[in-house]
Amino acid sequence: MAKDIRDLADEEVMQLVQSGNPRAFELLYDRHGGAAFSLAYRMVGNRGAAEDIVQEAFLSIWRSRLRYDQARGSVRTWVLGIVHNRTIDALRRSMVHDRRRETMEGIEERQEAPERTEVEAARREEARNIRDALDTLPEEQRKTIELAYFGGFSHSQIAELLNEPVGTIKGRMRLGLDKMRRQLSEGYAAGGFA
Amino acid sequence: MMDGNHTTYREEIGAYLLGALTDDEREGFEQHLEDCPECRAEIEELRPAADALPRSVEQVEPPASLKTSLMEIVEREAREAAAGEGEQTRAAPPARSRPPLRERLPSLRPAFALGALVLGLAVGFGVAQLGGDEGARTVAATVDQERIPQGSGDLRIEGDGEDGAILRVNQMPDLRGREVYQAWVQRDGMVIPQPTFEVGPDGSGAVAVPEDLSDAQAVLVTREQRGGATAPSEQPILSVPL
Repeated sequence: MAKDIRDLADEEVMQLVQSGNPRAFELLYDRHGGAAFSLAYRMVGNRGAAEDIVQEAFLSIWRSRLRYDQARGSVRTWVLGIVHNRTIDALRRSMVHDRRRETMEGIEERQEAPERTEVEAARREEARNIRDALDTLPEEQRKTIELAYFGGFSHSQIAELLNEPVGTIKGRMRLGLDKMRRQLSEGYAAGGFA
Repeated sequence: MMDGNHTTYREEIGAYLLGALTDDEREGFEQHLEDCPECRAEIEELRPAADALPRSVEQVEPPASLKTSLMEIVEREAREAAAGEGEQTRAAPPARSRPPLRERLPSLRPAFALGALVLGLAVGFGVAQLGGDEGARTVAATVDQERIPQGSGDLRIEGDGEDGAILRVNQMPDLRGREVYQAWVQRDGMVIPQPTFEVGPDGSGAVAVPEDLSDAQAVLVTREQRGGATAPSEQPILSVPL
């Protein structure tokens, strides 16, 4: 009997996407579109700009579907990496800086996604755990990592912002990631990390 | 084999994983990586921490219109690809890295005369240039406040509008499946049908307007039966004068 497409693992869905199957692409979006939008929204702080970025990112996945390499990591990590890169590009082109400022002034309200399934509940729990790991870092390391990853700033921009030498900033990034890695592996050695 | 700058590059591992190198710096770093197993090993060791960062974000519901507009484009391209395979034996089209927007969206239906449609919206409507970035501009829409009291929208036009534009709306009523919103392009006394769209629970929606807007007078929106109409059945509820 034919397997329902919704029962397929992400990697199998990607194989169908690679063959140009729009239903598989829709399923890919259903599974990861929310996380992609949330990441872009976290970085640009504006729903309209986040929509533009996610649409472009998913269209690039659809159009360059041969590029996914299973050896490089999970589909979710791959998708979020594409969204992250596109958001950084947008931030560095200053396309969305003004919009982000608006949000910082509290003009826009955030609409939190409801928890609908066990998978979503587990992902929220995972998100809390990663934030906890991030919170264990020394303040200057956490701030540097957040400015780089979510703010889209380069190491030299961060050095300027924080009035610190570039070497110090690079060191904080590396040390901070290393500490976070240890926290995560200690905290999730039993359950594993998706 | 490691080059003489290994120590310098090794310091950049964190910045590389966090996306904090400039394009030139990243290129140089990746060249170094090809010859440096030590840096490659450290990157693989730290990568799980960097990969976890996007999963730390609080989840925010994307608007339903995002999926709708995305799937319109994807399904159109899938149909084109299927049709293209049959035609390839006759004539191979020139390769293009990215077709213009108008070619990625549903085919246009024939233009119909504007006829008795009176654009009463023109009186008192102002046009606001919201701004734009390189090669793009955003024009604010005007909404019939009697019928759609809270609604708003804007049109993002790339370049001179030859490749169409993206219309976005906010706080529009959910038509609950019986009807859909439909975009139109007004040009030389004609209105040209454009794709239909819906709004999400938050009242936001978006639709690609694939028509060439370079000599158009306005982009309009009406409410139509599901499936769309060939001529507007009501006066526009939203208008973007061009």
